[in-house]
Amino acid sequence: MSRSKSSGFAWALIASLSLVVAGCNGWSNPSEQMQAERMARPSRWGTPAVYTPANRSVGEAVRSHFGARAEPQQPFPFSHKIHLDKELVCTDCHEGVERSPRAGLPSINTCMICHSQVATDAPLIKQLTATYEKGLDLPWQRVYAYNREAHVRFEHAPHIRKGVECSTCHGNQAQQTVAVRAVDMDMPFCVNCHKQKQASNDCLTCHY
Amino acid sequence: MAHRWGMVVDLDKCTGCEACITACHAENNIPTVGAEEAARGRAMHWMRVERYWEGDFPDVKVKFRPVLCQQCDNAPCEAVCPTYASHHTDEGLNAQVYNRCIGTRYCANACSYNVRFFNFFNPQWEKPLQLQLNPDVSVREVGVMEKCTFCVQRIKSGKSTAKVEDRSVTDADVQPACAQSCPAGAIIFGDLNDHDGRAARLAHSPRGTKLLEDLGAEPNVTYLQKQSWYEPDAQ
Amino acid sequence: MNTMDRRRFIKVTAITGTTAALASCGNPENQIVRFIPEEEILPGIAVWKPSVCPLCTAGCGVSARVMDGDAEVFRKGQPGVARMGLVRKLEGDATHPISQGRLCVRGQAGVQVTYHPDRLVGPQRRTGERGSGQFTEISWDEALTMLVERLDAAVAAGPAQIAFLSRPRRGRRHELVTEFLRRLGAPAPVTYEIFDDAVLRHANELSFGRYQLPTFDLARTRYLVNFGADLLGTWNSPLAHSVAYGAMRQGRGGVRAKFVQVEPRLSQTGASADEFLAVRPGTEGALALGMAHVIMKAGLKPADAAGRAGALVDGWSAGLAAFTPEAVAKDTGVSVARIERLAREFAGHAPAVAVIGGAALAHTNGLAQALAVNALNALMGSVGTEGGVSFMPQTSAPGRPARALREVLAAAPPQVLLLDEANPVFAAPAAWKTAAWLRQVPFIASFGSFIDDTSMLADLVLPDHSFLESWVDSAPESGAAASVATVAPPAMRPLYDTRSVPDVLLEAGRRLKQPLSPAMPWQTFEEMLQTPLVPEASPVAAVSARASAAPTPIAWRTPELDGNPGEYPFHFLPFASQALLDGSLAHLPWLQELPDPLTTAMWSSWVEINVAVAERLGILDGDIVEIASAHGAVRAPVVISPGIGPDGVAMPAGQGHGTFTRYASGRGSNPFAILAPVSEAASGQLAWAATRVKVTKVADADGSLILFAGATRERPDHTRGRG
Repeated sequence: MSRSKSSGFAWALIASLSLVVAGCNGWSNPSEQMQAERMARPSRWGTPAVYTPANRSVGEAVRSHFGARAEPQQPFPFSHKIHLDKELVCTDCHEGVERSPRAGLPSINTCMICHSQVATDAPLIKQLTATYEKGLDLPWQRVYAYNREAHVRFEHAPHIRKGVECSTCHGNQAQQTVAVRAVDMDMPFCVNCHKQKQASNDCLTCHY
Repeated sequence: MAHRWGMVVDLDKCTGCEACITACHAENNIPTVGAEEAARGRAMHWMRVERYWEGDFPDVKVKFRPVLCQQCDNAPCEAVCPTYASHHTDEGLNAQVYNRCIGTRYCANACSYNVRFFNFFNPQWEKPLQLQLNPDVSVREVGVMEKCTFCVQRIKSGKSTAKVEDRSVTDADVQPACAQSCPAGAIIFGDLNDHDGRAARLAHSPRGTKLLEDLGAEPNVTYLQKQSWYEPDAQ
Repeated sequence: MNTMDRRRFIKVTAITGTTAALASCGNPENQIVRFIPEEEILPGIAVWKPSVCPLCTAGCGVSARVMDGDAEVFRKGQPGVARMGLVRKLEGDATHPISQGRLCVRGQAGVQVTYHPDRLVGPQRRTGERGSGQFTEISWDEALTMLVERLDAAVAAGPAQIAFLSRPRRGRRHELVTEFLRRLGAPAPVTYEIFDDAVLRHANELSFGRYQLPTFDLARTRYLVNFGADLLGTWNSPLAHSVAYGAMRQGRGGVRAKFVQVEPRLSQTGASADEFLAVRPGTEGALALGMAHVIMKAGLKPADAAGRAGALVDGWSAGLAAFTPEAVAKDTGVSVARIERLAREFAGHAPAVAVIGGAALAHTNGLAQALAVNALNALMGSVGTEGGVSFMPQTSAPGRPARALREVLAAAPPQVLLLDEANPVFAAPAAWKTAAWLRQVPFIASFGSFIDDTSMLADLVLPDHSFLESWVDSAPESGAAASVATVAPPAMRPLYDTRSVPDVLLEAGRRLKQPLSPAMPWQTFEEMLQTPLVPEASPVAAVSARASAAPTPIAWRTPELDGNPGEYPFHFLPFASQALLDGSLAHLPWLQELPDPLTTAMWSSWVEINVAVAERLGILDGDIVEIASAHGAVRAPVVISPGIGPDGVAMPAGQGHGTFTRYASGRGSNPFAILAPVSEAASGQLAWAATRVKVTKVADADGSLILFAGATRERPDHTRGRG
């Protein structure tokens, strides 16, 4: 590649800044006002009536551009450590990881497989059971996620098949209570590993 | 040997029904822009059907031609991209990497086939239409160029399935949405390096031509020309 | 069907307040109720589930790609989010004999029916004036009570006081509706679709003893003459035809069949033909008889080879003396030499098949036209043979509909009208005054998923599940060699508080004061679908048994067009839109934004006008013209087309809805509005291609014609630009 890195970087910077602005304003567009109204009007679920990759505010656009993210607020102080200490394994709850692009966040049904009988007296489990009996699920929030505009299409299953440990990307969960982001999954992190393992580094491997 | 993905479109079978277009929309999360934006020329169709009228009524004929990214080996769009967002892969795909794209639109200018589409604004799906989105494909945002990918997500998943089953990839593993849906079977996709494959054989058919061949872009889409009636005794 | 029981439902309602406290993120999506998933589904993995496309009567089996996702749903009236299996894409079912792994443009857009933003989410009762569109949501219990009260009163008032109006449907759902009405003592259901092929069924019953649409073996035919049917676009079983067409072109070494299209305007199907014969509207049958004359006169086939189908045509046994090439040339506008060549080619390339359908039958002489083509097929020995035309064995007896909509409209309005997706206010000629009649019906209940031009007048709305959410079935009458009936379970759980129509009828039946007599044998539609289907033993036996009576010959008639040619110089041809069909799919955004194959128009109505006519009238592309018949006028932008002759104008159906969701309401104009209320003489069907119109330019191009810009060569040069 003969083109200098720095000029490419400059382009990217200008473009990203324009995206920051465009992200919330959109390019000049006659139906913009109509669209804005539609977005503002909530659905009967109290959510925006339109799905769009647009950032909702300038603030959100700026935060997303600089990779700043709010810490996830979990509905329930689930401890990975306690469960792993009881000799459960990751795939017991994250069932998709060996077969699917996505590992998956378990529903309350998964919790109740054990907790309909195990530790039913513990206060947290009582809270869990109460939620279950109300017919409700736990609104888990994702801990790891790529910036949407990075267009990364990560697949878990091929990595597990190649023997990559869960902890390589997610840290040692046995030492975590509520899961926190322990590894910074930026592009060098992925690319270095791909280089070491002689996996493809073509853009289309991850970005499409 | 590496794959070299290519397509053959048999114009003798194409009926202009446009099943390929909706198949492409559904598979690739292509937004509907609405009447106002469509009137400004911003409708997005990675796949389109062109029609060529010949003659005057009543001695009139029409020829249909589905046109999509020709995945050129010598692609004009790639040379002009300042960020390498548009680049060529080892498998002959003309890739568009959205996260590298900064929206100069040079590529769309350079493309001789008019198959690149720019996101002039953030796409919108009026809820719950977003539930139709394919989770295996990106939703592109404002400022990004997009175009036919030969359904790269299907290529990837086909290769992955073959790998799990410990066998080589066949054409049956990898069918883009347009080829899969085409009622008349006019669209044939496959590995051009697999010389026994149907796509590779048809790509060498004497009926084969390339669109705007003299431009030298070396497309990987071959069009098989429409034929006229033949029978042992046909006039 | 719902797994959540009443006890749990009460608890869910009680704790709505606390859920918000559970999730503390500022994102509104995280603050609404999240229901326990009703199914365990592996994330990110696609599962394929069978279903049946209901968008037309072809009955294609489809395969739905289901993946997990979070959907905003209603559960027992409660809004919330549920993780569930969602249909992401529809594809053809590879094992289905009609779709054969392929799917047409409309079928693929069917997924948007389920996810349409304007879909009705639960039962509603009219609160405003009739037609005001003001409805208020009610519970299913209230809705059913209302329905049953009205049905009880109507039953007491007399058997004819209940009418059921639906789109044409074939299969067990329709059977259930019919049974329900019969046991209620009400008349059989009425079906309506403007492009319905009742004339052809009628003709086939006379010629071959089958009240049924034909199936064509295109894959093995050597010569196809198509009289006006949109075979590869929208007519009969278009997907099956297209699959076979691929084989007809390039499926056999050494033979590539010839395809001749005969019609007044070059259609999308005609565009694929090897030869296009422009004929005067309504004279297609005369050409067929002219061909038969040449074939018989040259001794290529004897007259009696056509059997009963031939005997039905007046003058057949005498060799059709009135249909000399010279006479036919005068009628049709096709040259003598061409008629003779066509006849000889057709006779010389068996198996050869002739097809007639669509506009060719929508004339006052439709039946005579169809009988002419039937006789031509019979003459060639192409009935029931390889490469010819056949009749698919049925799983339910092919029967005539009891009454046509036109007869119902002519009678006094019933007390109760049950409306199942038919939209005659839009799709019937304005001259029928359907809306005025409907306004006299005291009570209308609608089952459709959307408020359209007709259901706008309903008093009670009982929205159906989408086809992906319910048990579905089809029993097509054509499209494959063997009998086909398809049944499929729901591909996904219902999003909203909707109910499947057959189940609503069964429930209503149980609640009636005067019980159904006898009671329905099934508790649910699912239960009915488990009872076995009995296919016909042999279709051939049916033909001979029913065709034994001696036929009365039917004389050829010249077509009569409504309107004085001096005042209304152009023949008006409405045609089914490749995307929107008769307008029943105008609510789907993918199809609205689909460029028309011949014009690239999207989101628009248009009128196709001949190049020379446009020049004469000073009309340029996109200019607005008024098309006026003796019965009304519509305005639309012009597309100057090389595919239409100087005597006609053509306009696609689909647009011009008053009310049909945010994507179709108030968009474009409706060609059906100006149709003359004339009928096909023998069968009484609407002759929708028998209207004359005049064309007046009313404004310069105003941008209402939206064309797709992207193409290497967009339009023919002579239609480009202004001045």
